[in-house]
Amino acid sequence: MAEIQMQTDVPTPQDGSEAANKDWYGRWSHLYKILDRRGPFADPSFTPGHGDVLDSSFIFLREILLNNCRVLVIGAGGLGCEILKNLVLSGFKNIEVIDMDIIDVSNLNRQFLFRPSDVGKPKAKVAAEFIMKRVADVKVTYYHGKIQDKDDDYYLGFQLIICGLDSVEARRWINATLVNLVGDEPERIRVLVDGGTEGFKGQARVIIPTITSCYECSLDMLGKQKTFPICTIANTPRLPEHCIEWASVIHWPKIRPDIKMDTDDPTHIQWLYEIALERAKEFNITGVTYSLTQGVVKNIIPAIASTNAIIAASCCNEAFKLITTAQPYLNNYMMYTGNEGLYTYTFEHQKKPDCPVCGNERVTMEINKEMTVEDFIEYLKERQEIQLKRPSLSHATTGEKIYWQSPPLFEQRTRPNLEKMLIEMVEQGDEITVTDTTLPFSLQIVISYT
Amino acid sequence: MNVDKKTQKYDRQLRLWHANGQTALETAKVCLINGTATGCEILKDLVLPGIGSFTVVDNKIVEGSDVGNTFFLVSDSIGMNRAQAVTEFLQELNEDVKGFHFSEDPIALIENQPEYFLQFSIVITTNLPEKSLLKLADILWNAKIPLVIVCTVGFIGYFRIALPEHTIVEAHPENIIDLRLDVPFPALEQYVKTFNFGALGSMDHAHIPYVVILLKYLEQWKRDHDSKLPSTSAERNEFKKLIQSGRRNVEEENFDEALASVWKACTSTKIPRQVEEIFKISSCENITAESSNFWIIARAVRDFAANEGLGLLPLAGNVPDMKADTPNYVAMQNIYRQKAKEDASAVRARVHNILNSIGRSTDSISDDEIDSFCKNASFIQVIRYRSLQEEYITEPKNADIGRWLQDLQENIVHYVLIRAMNRFYESYNRYPDAATFFLEDDAEEVSEEASNDFNTLKAYVNILLREWKITSYPEHLDNHIHEICRAGGSELANIASLLGGMVSQEVIKLITKQYIPMNNTVIFDGVRSTSSSYIL
Repeated sequence: MAEIQMQTDVPTPQDGSEAANKDWYGRWSHLYKILDRRGPFADPSFTPGHGDVLDSSFIFLREILLNNCRVLVIGAGGLGCEILKNLVLSGFKNIEVIDMDIIDVSNLNRQFLFRPSDVGKPKAKVAAEFIMKRVADVKVTYYHGKIQDKDDDYYLGFQLIICGLDSVEARRWINATLVNLVGDEPERIRVLVDGGTEGFKGQARVIIPTITSCYECSLDMLGKQKTFPICTIANTPRLPEHCIEWASVIHWPKIRPDIKMDTDDPTHIQWLYEIALERAKEFNITGVTYSLTQGVVKNIIPAIASTNAIIAASCCNEAFKLITTAQPYLNNYMMYTGNEGLYTYTFEHQKKPDCPVCGNERVTMEINKEMTVEDFIEYLKERQEIQLKRPSLSHATTGEKIYWQSPPLFEQRTRPNLEKMLIEMVEQGDEITVTDTTLPFSLQIVISYT
Repeated sequence: MNVDKKTQKYDRQLRLWHANGQTALETAKVCLINGTATGCEILKDLVLPGIGSFTVVDNKIVEGSDVGNTFFLVSDSIGMNRAQAVTEFLQELNEDVKGFHFSEDPIALIENQPEYFLQFSIVITTNLPEKSLLKLADILWNAKIPLVIVCTVGFIGYFRIALPEHTIVEAHPENIIDLRLDVPFPALEQYVKTFNFGALGSMDHAHIPYVVILLKYLEQWKRDHDSKLPSTSAERNEFKKLIQSGRRNVEEENFDEALASVWKACTSTKIPRQVEEIFKISSCENITAESSNFWIIARAVRDFAANEGLGLLPLAGNVPDMKADTPNYVAMQNIYRQKAKEDASAVRARVHNILNSIGRSTDSISDDEIDSFCKNASFIQVIRYRSLQEEYITEPKNADIGRWLQDLQENIVHYVLIRAMNRFYESYNRYPDAATFFLEDDAEEVSEEASNDFNTLKAYVNILLREWKITSYPEHLDNHIHEICRAGGSELANIASLLGGMVSQEVIKLITKQYIPMNNTVIFDGVRSTSSSYIL
């Protein structure tokens, strides 16, 4: 397992004693049993307190935990609410939470810090305020906004970052940001504990940037996005989903070009539902419902309190172990499945040597000589391990733009290249730089023709 | 707006267990014995999805340490009755759920008035001593009420389900496709005959559903091979070549799909073994007025298969998406659906006959319930849990425990320690609680008191090992004994919450009778972040 020193400002014993006095008798007695005693599985560097003797090492460990460790929680949703609760009950008293969302009624079946009267308010604010109201003497600050708004110094200000996100994009961003943060200075390593759930399944993992495998290394483990070919949607619909996609992708832009579709607006969903239903009738297809319409257009992933609790608790358990060294931490991935029995699989996910974020080998792609630039772009979008949505390409050495998705001026200028053979623009062994607006980094791909 | 508030609130879970699962939840009465941190976390994850009601049975007074590890208490709760205090905070989570508290000593209640627990749909216990547990387990077992026993200590969590029988129709398998390619029914054969591949234009040819392609070539194959399907891999390859020969160009995706399904097409459709086993259970043979709906329908399906079903289960009727034009796909889908409907209606007739014969009215089992059973017939499950009596007294799994204990990766060691810890508690009315582990260069000596806890706990471990007829003491147990002494009966918020999630998820599966619950013990090790399940 990787040796890693957690960065903490060393407090002096005097700093903490005041804060500790505010606690009622027995508040931390469950925790102190673990923190004050050595354990056979704990790292030998673990320095417990010694019973009731108030010597400096005893104060030290409690203080690291209780007052001086700043933790960032990304996401105040299903996982985030659980994470905040678990952290403050585990002795973390200095927390910041970021979330850009506002509370929706469909959050209430699991996001237990919110009440019906909170619908419409920012999640980060309501969650932080609820925690501080319920749990005495903890500081939870919040930022209602995007993680991309924050700079390196902001992220360096935390000892640990726990993510409970539902978006691949945001995870890739924070992962790449934390890896890039390190540079050649190991003291800039900030551990990322990442959780994710989908229905009865989920995973918790510990990412030590540049040391362990990172989020980008494991993109190929993501399930394939369900997409429907446009020709099926337009010409040969067979499933209710095809009719719903037709309503939202083809019919809406044609009939309501001036109105931006808002999938959170029930009148918009209703409109799509009715159109999809009509089309389904025309083709004798059954099964279009309001709920399915909403599920398809919003790409809804089922979410339940229990799975969130399991994954969030696992993340916080790892955070606690990482900070206190009271037990060894997860190296580095735990998968959970609950639909058929109860099953977990814990393993070490391997670093990918050619990972575009944390690897140092270049990616080589074997490409058919007959490929056009457009074919190549489609090919990139299909590759599971790189997950690109709108890739823009340039020649890495000459800097020549092969195809740029934006701004419109460059798009127009490079559009004719789409029909060209890739080999006309990129020679055997040349390198292409791929960027995507969703990525905080660029990919370097060496082209090898077959 | 055509969706009510409640459907909106529960949208993300209705996509997993649907309206019928939700109704089951909303009528469930859950009892929690002891409002510990773990107990409250379990209830939180049941109140949020909307169980009918919960009742906390606990007569303890809230202490400072409870407020420290339980989110549903505040420092003002100190000194109050714990059942009442946690109920008030848990109740806030969902206005649709009723919360009750009963400030009674659970141990005395089990001893003096055990019938109290028969009013619940499920009972969950935390921190209950062995003797009370066995008595409660016995009463609930006889009443067929599920019991879930939960314990967390330090970084370890344990829970156990006890219930005589749990039947599942909606297991929600990920792949539910039954196309009968090897044994096409007449309407399907008829439909395939309407295709003349050679006469089709290129567009239509590229849109023949792969099911039709396979059936067409299988028919040809069977004509040339004594009506037999390709059975060896050489034959399957030859059959693939036959399909390839009909392909007009590489662009025809429907032929790709056909080729990818050759193996499936050549596998004979039959009743899955696990379903055959269910049909052999005596509850399926001996239907009485007391039989549950599950067994009545199971019997009807068994009889259907033995007669008009020609050895097969009722058809599910689902058709996966495939490359095809709309009219052909819809027509084929309707043929499968029609056959499924016919099968279900034959099963319905048999169910009604059985109901008549046992004096129950024919509308006491709904058509929906029968249809759902038919759709899921290949995936039905029956779990017969072992009783706690069997595990603890009459038939402990001596050999298995002994074998599992040899493997250092196994989590069974925590089971041994939790059982020993509970024995310790019953004798001393406290948990082992001391710093007993030191490094060689530690200046301190183990205090006498501490070494007593270690030795006493180890003595209980040895008693258990003897009971299980395990003759040699596995040395690695020492470290786990140290770890339990270190934990001192503590409940860490993270482990409480993790177990809360696991337990509530299993409870939801039991109540909704959907998805497959674990059987019968799960142990989570928060040191290694692993879990195991055991049949104990």
